Amino acid sequence: MDLSLVLNTLMLLTITTLLTPIILPMLSDKLKSSPLTITNTVKTSFLISLIPMTIHIHSGMESLITIWEWKFIMNFKIPISLKLDFYSLTFFPIALFVSWSILQFAMWYMASDPHITKFFIYLLFFLITMLILIVANNLFVLFIGWEGVGIMSFLLISWWHGRAEANTAALQAVLYNRVGDVGLILCMAWLASTMNTWEIHQMTSPHQTPTLPLLGLILAATGKSAQFGLHPWLPAAMEGPTPVSALLHSSTMVVAGIFLLIRTHPLFDNNPTALTLCLCLGALSTLFAATCALTQNDIKKIIAFSTSSQLGLMMVTIGLNQPQLAFFHISTHAFFKAMLFLCSGSIIHSLNGEQDIRKMGGLQKMLPTTTSCLTIGNLALMGTPFLAGFYSKDQIIESLSTSYLNAWALLLTLLATSFTAIYTVRMTVLVQSGFVRTPPLTPMNENDPNVTSPLTRLALGSITAGFLITSFITPTKIPPMTMPTSIKLTAIAVTALGIILALEISKMTQTLILKKQSPMSNFSTSLGYFNPLVHRLHSTNLLTGGQKFASQLIDLSWYKLLGPEGLANLQTTASKTATSLHSGLIKAYLGSFALSILIILMSSY
Amino acid sequence: MTYLHLSFLSAFTLSSLGLAFHRTHLISALLCLESMMLSMYIALAMWPIQTQTTSPTLLPVLMLTFSACEAGTGLALLVASTRTHGSDHLHNFNLLQC
Repeated sequence: MDLSLVLNTLMLLTITTLLTPIILPMLSDKLKSSPLTITNTVKTSFLISLIPMTIHIHSGMESLITIWEWKFIMNFKIPISLKLDFYSLTFFPIALFVSWSILQFAMWYMASDPHITKFFIYLLFFLITMLILIVANNLFVLFIGWEGVGIMSFLLISWWHGRAEANTAALQAVLYNRVGDVGLILCMAWLASTMNTWEIHQMTSPHQTPTLPLLGLILAATGKSAQFGLHPWLPAAMEGPTPVSALLHSSTMVVAGIFLLIRTHPLFDNNPTALTLCLCLGALSTLFAATCALTQNDIKKIIAFSTSSQLGLMMVTIGLNQPQLAFFHISTHAFFKAMLFLCSGSIIHSLNGEQDIRKMGGLQKMLPTTTSCLTIGNLALMGTPFLAGFYSKDQIIESLSTSYLNAWALLLTLLATSFTAIYTVRMTVLVQSGFVRTPPLTPMNENDPNVTSPLTRLALGSITAGFLITSFITPTKIPPMTMPTSIKLTAIAVTALGIILALEISKMTQTLILKKQSPMSNFSTSLGYFNPLVHRLHSTNLLTGGQKFASQLIDLSWYKLLGPEGLANLQTTASKTATSLHSGLIKAYLGSFALSILIILMSSY
Repeated sequence: MTYLHLSFLSAFTLSSLGLAFHRTHLISALLCLESMMLSMYIALAMWPIQTQTTSPTLLPVLMLTFSACEAGTGLALLVASTRTHGSDHLHNFNLLQC
């Protein structure tokens, strides 16, 4: 049968299946959605989406579906089209698999929440907008998905909106994302005016693309993917429930910025300025986030900073002109990061809301499945050979080491890799091993299949995903084949160094007294002093600037000095000077009369 | 300029200066005004004699009429100021002084 028909139909069926829990309750009163039905919907959707992916892997078939054309202006076509190429066909099953596991976990995690169905609807809506973003062929459709995920992120972070920190965090997320959106709109405007299209497959140009739209795209990615400069919202977003952190802020939403750069990669190809900017920005982000994660004590914040660091690594890969490798890292990262968040959720609930790793310990015997999955996830994150993270991360570091680009970026990335190992081992050691530091009575229970089966599924994914993807996908760019042995072993060497250092230091901290503050640890603990500096300075400058303009310039200068009042002042001064002559003394008048007569008489001769 | 013109001019100028620079009494100003009128009368009367034209001979009489009105107005002002202020001193006219 016609495979292209199968491909197109099943992809559309995937998206339609996801829409049913939202649309069906509107049609009939009897068809209410429940968390179980939503989870099963996502599972069905995942199974359906496996078939188009298999078709693509088997025959390399890609497809473009045009649904409608918005005839807004005559010359400018905005077709609502979906692009089913390698990226979207591969990301769909991965995103749906991860979402299925997270939703099943959320059934246990949010079981005591009275509005659990609304929570699931929100997560489903987020998933739909994310998939719209992935499958968009048009920057307009992508923008719809982009804004959709931003709004859902806001709603989900402030889920417990009675908490002031949650509201602040949601506001931070929206504001920082908005600053990035300006960049995307700039790029869209430039494209509409220069290339007269928003289609992604029409975006190539033979000569060098000007840097301005690329700067806009990089700004959009900085906002959405929390690169350095627009990063504070990501650690603050941990105020949301753990399923939200697992779905949005580790696997799917934050990779939207990187995905945008992957999609528009043909524009970047021949502009070395933009590529270098990506490289350096990514290197800076990854190192900064890894530095901040070293001294964090909240388990979710450590994982959040590790997400931020991996996003910086993806940005570095974009800067190396390797979009497929970045996509590969997105895919493998989704598995183990979601699993790490779910493990932390299980730990938090078992300890009755305790998130501080200094108050955990010895959980290996008490929560065996969770801690095993935590270990697997951490090993995958560090890039342990032949787990999922190794295939993508090691290839990235190899490409970085063998390229002729920025050595500073390479140094920062290697340092960040070793820091990754350090904070990962620190977290593992403090959470799982050692003496028990939790209070004695905790509701410790992981026997629910809604907890164990998602974790084991994602663990299976973390172990095998890298291997499966590299076996079945042929790379479009040739990976570096030959390199000196020391370069080949760089990533493993720095990781091993990090592990040894972390084990040594954690052994030291358990036997010696706490050391005093130092500038380095202060820098790491206070997240680089970025938040207080930028948040205060920026708003103060903006507001004083506004006051100078509105009050001092307009009100006082132009209205008082130069405008109407100034004119009035001028007139009164002139008339005051003039009326000093009107003295009312008759002698003065007669004297001036005589003077004028004399002058006239004199001048007539 | 002949001596005759000099005498008219100097008489007129001196009387106008006297009008401007009088000290205390209004009546002295009025007297100066009369002398201005007198010098003008004589000048106007000499003009047709010198140019031997007969038409402007009427002018002195016209001027006399108007000067009589003017003198009458001046005297009326004097009487009015005497009635209100009790004297014809000039500092009474500084009413507009602020």
